[in-house]
Amino acid sequence: MNGLHGIIFAYEKEPGLRELVEHRMPASVPFGGRYRIIDFMLSNMQNAGITDVGVVLHGNYQSLLDHLGSGKTWDMSRKYGGLRLLPPFADNRKYQSEEFRGKMEALAGVRSYIEEIRQDYVVLSDSDLIINLPIDDVFEAHLASGADITCVCTPNLGRTENATYFHLDPDGRVAATLCDPHTPEGYQSLEIYILSRELLLRLVDECEAQEKSSFRRDVLLGMGEKLNIRSFIWEGLAAQLRTVKEYYDRSMALLDPNVAGALFCPERPIQAKEDDEASSYIAPESRCVNSFIADGCIVEGMVENSILFPGVRIGRGAQVRNCILFKNVTVSENVTLSHVIADKSVLVRTGGTLIGHENYPLTIARDSVV
Amino acid sequence: MKKECIAMLLAGGQGSRLYVLTENMAKPAVPFGGRYRIIDFPLSNCTNAGIDTVGVLTQYRPLELNRYIGNGQPWDLDRNDGGVHILPPYQSATGATWYKGTANAIYQNIGFVDMYDPDYVLILSGDHIYKMDYAAMLAHHKREGADCTISVMEVPWDEASRFGIMNVDEHDTIVEFEEKPKNPKSNLASMGIYVFTWRKLREYLIADENDAASSNDFGKNIIPTMLADGQKMAAYRFDGYWKDVGTLDSLWDANMDMLAQGSGLNLLEKRWPIYGRSTSAPPAYLGADSHVEHSVVTRGCVVEGTAENCVLSERCTVGRGAQVEYSILMPGAVVEEGARVSYAIIGENCRIGAGAVIGCAPERASEAWGITVVGPETQVPEQYRLAANRMLNRDLKEVVR
Repeated sequence: MNGLHGIIFAYEKEPGLRELVEHRMPASVPFGGRYRIIDFMLSNMQNAGITDVGVVLHGNYQSLLDHLGSGKTWDMSRKYGGLRLLPPFADNRKYQSEEFRGKMEALAGVRSYIEEIRQDYVVLSDSDLIINLPIDDVFEAHLASGADITCVCTPNLGRTENATYFHLDPDGRVAATLCDPHTPEGYQSLEIYILSRELLLRLVDECEAQEKSSFRRDVLLGMGEKLNIRSFIWEGLAAQLRTVKEYYDRSMALLDPNVAGALFCPERPIQAKEDDEASSYIAPESRCVNSFIADGCIVEGMVENSILFPGVRIGRGAQVRNCILFKNVTVSENVTLSHVIADKSVLVRTGGTLIGHENYPLTIARDSVV
Repeated sequence: MKKECIAMLLAGGQGSRLYVLTENMAKPAVPFGGRYRIIDFPLSNCTNAGIDTVGVLTQYRPLELNRYIGNGQPWDLDRNDGGVHILPPYQSATGATWYKGTANAIYQNIGFVDMYDPDYVLILSGDHIYKMDYAAMLAHHKREGADCTISVMEVPWDEASRFGIMNVDEHDTIVEFEEKPKNPKSNLASMGIYVFTWRKLREYLIADENDAASSNDFGKNIIPTMLADGQKMAAYRFDGYWKDVGTLDSLWDANMDMLAQGSGLNLLEKRWPIYGRSTSAPPAYLGADSHVEHSVVTRGCVVEGTAENCVLSERCTVGRGAQVEYSILMPGAVVEEGARVSYAIIGENCRIGAGAVIGCAPERASEAWGITVVGPETQVPEQYRLAANRMLNRDLKEVVR
């Protein structure tokens, strides 16, 4: 399928993710033992046959650039098209220093790129979403329904910060759009939208001329009467990660084999940048249960209900429960950890005890020595 | 462009002593150590040593190997100039022949080597597990002003008669070569890794080809002839981990060496990484009732049962109540509920049916004991019994090893 082009917005900061986004954008926050959040959307696009994807950047995107590289991981290192990184364009001085106020402003910042898109249709997505969505099915539904815009939404209402909700007509048309309401109701938007390139360009120009910056406020809400906006209902797993608590809960949910099985279904694999680690070693007299263990780990202590990223070391006598340990974390001998999220290369020295709570997991910033 | 040194990797042998494991694929493509294949070791050694041009000589069942090597990208061997090249036998104006022996395989590719006009050629095998800096060996070759340098390692004296033994003088210059000597005079065994000065080797390959009596083999013909002619032959001592995994027992041993602290085979050590083509599986999941001890686990594994002293490769499954001990599960192998696997090698994508019993511990064997092997893609029926020292292939044909 070559008719669809992907645009991923990776400019938004999520202060709710606290230490996890101190050095990186939400898109490159590690998730699920060996992935970054953006891997899910890029893989969804790859699995739907999309070859050309633009990633709209702003802010602290160093770690994201490092992760995306040439796009080879998703087969998007191409002679024509492929993965394009879109920092605020140099010739457009007004977007240089200030953060984009909304998607429409971000798109106006990369207008010349949109003009050159080869495909007739575009799928827009955020980069804080964990999902394994058959985007080709959404595209098919979009073409079949004749909608101007198709919005992917879920009936499972989360407690997501700053979320968008829809009221739907019986025939699936979006009747009303609610922005960040006090009480969630209707269907929650997953912020994935399909529309034609032509309409997108028209909307970008119209919004720019009227100093309008937001897709949901100025397009979905503001033009809801004029446009045929329809829904695509996704009942499977979908998680917008905007707070540490949500990040933690959604990570831990993976330890249910049914949840992990659906997210990592072999028909639509999620691709991650290769880490070139050997198999993990589980030592004698260790105990390692109900946990994800990425490659390159050495486990000599006890690990329960936890997620270990590549290269984690768990020393003798250590007890790790309900934790998420990022790449190259070292837990020394006789350390006790519970409900802790330790960022990259954290070292917990011998004998320490760190206890977080289910409702407030303890987050340790990158490279800390505890 | 001219290269100082290129590598030629001999990957065409049938690997007949791996029996069912190589019925449908060349030996270098056999999985090893959880997420690698044997050929990852020489290819990674090349890239780590700065050798960016590698010819891989294939002949026996090359499809799996060709697909695996692809454009060489996992080893950084996708280069604008050089990189990895698959070299099967080909037809020429005067006819076509298969590779008759190791030396003939290189002889038939003199044209390939000449394209890079190298000063030196490194000859490698596709069936060894080791980490070695070929750049250091090449430096030794140049320092000694040798025509040929052979890498050697000390083996226990009582095993020396199983190897090709190099007798050396006080400068480690080779004075005599003995293939599997009854009464070895030295315990320096050849590892089958050679550096040649290309100009010299080229002459000997042509002369060897013109000798109708020759079996066109490096060990049997080229090396003894060069030695007899008084060419300068240097021994290069290697004292790291090295194992020829050409037999089922040595393949099992080498995998188990990943678990043994003192074996010297440490793949988790990162200074000399081994690269492999990767798959997209999620991290290994060890279930709530699983018990995994003294074992390695790899991405995509799902363990609900028990695994002790095992190598579990990518995408393996050990079902509830299943027990696996002292065994190697190759990628994609599934051990269903309640099955037992002991002292066995289970090939790629095998399914061991529920309640089946494969192999047994040496102390419990009723007849001659040995490792039990199930070939790739075999669907072993439920409750099936496969005794120790047996092999089973995908047609469920059972043979005694």
